[in-house]
Amino acid sequence: MSFKTYTAIRMVIIIIMAGLIGWAVVNGNALIPVPVIIAALLILLLFRRRVKEVVVDERVYSIAEKASYLAFRIFGIAAAVIGAALIALGWESSSDLYKIGLTLAYAVCGLLVIYYIAHIYYNRKYSGKK
Amino acid sequence: MARINNQIRRLRFDHGEMTQEELAQRAGCTRQTIIALEQGKYVPSIELAFKIAGAFGVSLEEVFQYEA
Repeated sequence: MSFKTYTAIRMVIIIIMAGLIGWAVVNGNALIPVPVIIAALLILLLFRRRVKEVVVDERVYSIAEKASYLAFRIFGIAAAVIGAALIALGWESSSDLYKIGLTLAYAVCGLLVIYYIAHIYYNRKYSGKK
Repeated sequence: MARINNQIRRLRFDHGEMTQEELAQRAGCTRQTIIALEQGKYVPSIELAFKIAGAFGVSLEEVFQYEA
């Protein structure tokens, strides 16, 4: 199967899935979306395995790495600045602004911890250390 | 600035106008990567460089040149 055919099939499956989920939401049925999403993912996986062409290669990974790093930096800096500003604004009243600011600050801390752990892991993996 | 040039376009021509798609299949990458390489917008890994050279049946130096 060519990648073009797979893309067309994927589009059809996504449209059907979106329709079913939309219908379930309108009718207040929260159980239908879960099996629909699982079934759609499984069907997509089956079709994906039939694609013989190389779809993802090192250039795609390289782009993903650069994009991830840029997103990490932008989100980290923006969330830290906005979080600090919200904490400062809501400091006196302990309002919702303060809580949102605190949440953002913790999110940045969590992100930095994950980054640090990932950095240690890859630094060890790609160095001579044992 | 250091730069890595390549002869992919010329080598494709020398190999009976091998298509970008065919080279991509032989080297195990996408056609977009071959396009990016020919335009000098992407520098491949050593592994891919060897695969491309292997697809043409030539040495690495015949495909890629380092320009200091």
